[in-house]
Amino acid sequence: MWGVIKSVLAAFLGVQRDQQRREDFERGSPLAFIVTGIVMGVLLVAIIALVAFLAAG
Amino acid sequence: MRTLLVWLAGGLALVGSSQVALARGWNMPVGVTDLSGEIYSLHMIIFWICVVIGVVVFGVMFYSLFRYRHSQGAKAANFHENTTVEIIWTTVPLLILVGMAVPATATLQKIYDPSDAELDVMITGQQWRWRYEYLGEDVAFNSNLATPRAQIRGEEERGEHYLLEVDEPLVLPINRKVRFLFTSDDVLHAWWVPELAVKQDTVPGFVTENWVQINEPGIYRGQCAELCGVDHGFMPVVVHAVEEDEFDAWLVERQEMAAEEAMGVDRDWEMDELMERGEGVYGSICASCHQPEGQGAPPAFPALAGNEELIAGIEWHKDVVINGVSGTAMPAFRTTLNPVELAAVITYTRNAWGNDTGDAVQPAEIAERLAQ
Ligand code: HEC
Ligand SMILES: [Cu+2]
Repeated sequence: MWGVIKSVLAAFLGVQRDQQRREDFERGSPLAFIVTGIVMGVLLVAIIALVAFLAAG
Repeated sequence: MRTLLVWLAGGLALVGSSQVALARGWNMPVGVTDLSGEIYSLHMIIFWICVVIGVVVFGVMFYSLFRYRHSQGAKAANFHENTTVEIIWTTVPLLILVGMAVPATATLQKIYDPSDAELDVMITGQQWRWRYEYLGEDVAFNSNLATPRAQIRGEEERGEHYLLEVDEPLVLPINRKVRFLFTSDDVLHAWWVPELAVKQDTVPGFVTENWVQINEPGIYRGQCAELCGVDHGFMPVVVHAVEEDEFDAWLVERQEMAAEEAMGVDRDWEMDELMERGEGVYGSICASCHQPEGQGAPPAFPALAGNEELIAGIEWHKDVVINGVSGTAMPAFRTTLNPVELAAVITYTRNAWGNDTGDAVQPAEIAERLAQ
């Protein structure tokens, strides 16, 4: 699970180790990455909205 | 030591050149409001950040190109990735962007806060003039280009404020927060005065807001900044910022004028009065399309001088001027002009340039028509 999160975070930044990429592709199913990606995407938007909300006072 | 001197000289040259750019008007002005100063500082901070990034990136690039050139036996390094470097060059720009966003957002918040204004001015874009209404003060007027057509056609020497002068400037008090409400009667325009750091699109059917609090009295000039038709370049903005008591006196004077004008609607007007008033209105409002001598510019703008249809049809003539001709460039003047001005310009166009119908249209009659 931690590996998946780390890979999704790396994808957010757009930088990934080649070795990690190979390991990820050995998992077979992309489902875990897709679900984690969506969840973390929503989380990112929520965090940005919260920061904007706090900044707007 | 030598390199240090070179860097120092380079830095001085850059700072010096930015001062020259400011003095010459190549840079954006510092302006005359607190906000315009803040916007200017933001602009300069971000500009210098960009300069530093540019110098570093191109410096490294040119240095590497020169130092590791092929003729000196340089060998290309063959590697696939370097995660550390990649993370650094991704996060550093991210931090720079966030660093720029923080002060920029703080300023934006101030720009978007027109609360607690002491004066509301409605600014309406029209093809091709600005209309100013002091809300709740019963003062409203049009602000037309004052540059003579002869200068535009190149028959006369251009004046000092060529295309940046109007018959009636927007008068504002200093030291008071003034809220602007923008809209448009026809197409997109944009009200732009660099010294006030206000550049706002005016959108038909929508009202947008902005505000100023001017620190120094003076005359500030600007232009329409949204392409809006053939006379886009002929609808300048002139703001007259005056001391507070001077402004209050001006406002009272304008209110008295408006009251007098309202009374004028009920009385009977002489032909001469109407003609004189009408000539002024025609010159500032109609002449840009129908031409100074009423000769028009067919096929775009019909002639009014010797226009048979106009001479024969007085009711139709009134209707065209009041309500415009939809689907054509002929605007409706029912809100732009008051009953006296409407009656005067209709009378004028019925009697000038040999139209000689002898009809005097009374303001009271127009007022009645507008009320229907
Ligand atoms: C933006 C350009 C424009 C301005 C400003 C303008 N007009 Fe017109 N006007 C037109 C056009 C175009 C027509 C022709 C409309 C049509 O096709 O029926 C027209 C038509 C007319 C007509 C009918 C003439 C005819 O033969 O169709 C009258 C009268 C008239 N204008 C008076 C005025 C007066 C008075 C003013 C000033 C208060 C004025 N116009 C300002 C563009 C303009
Ligand atoms: Cu315009």
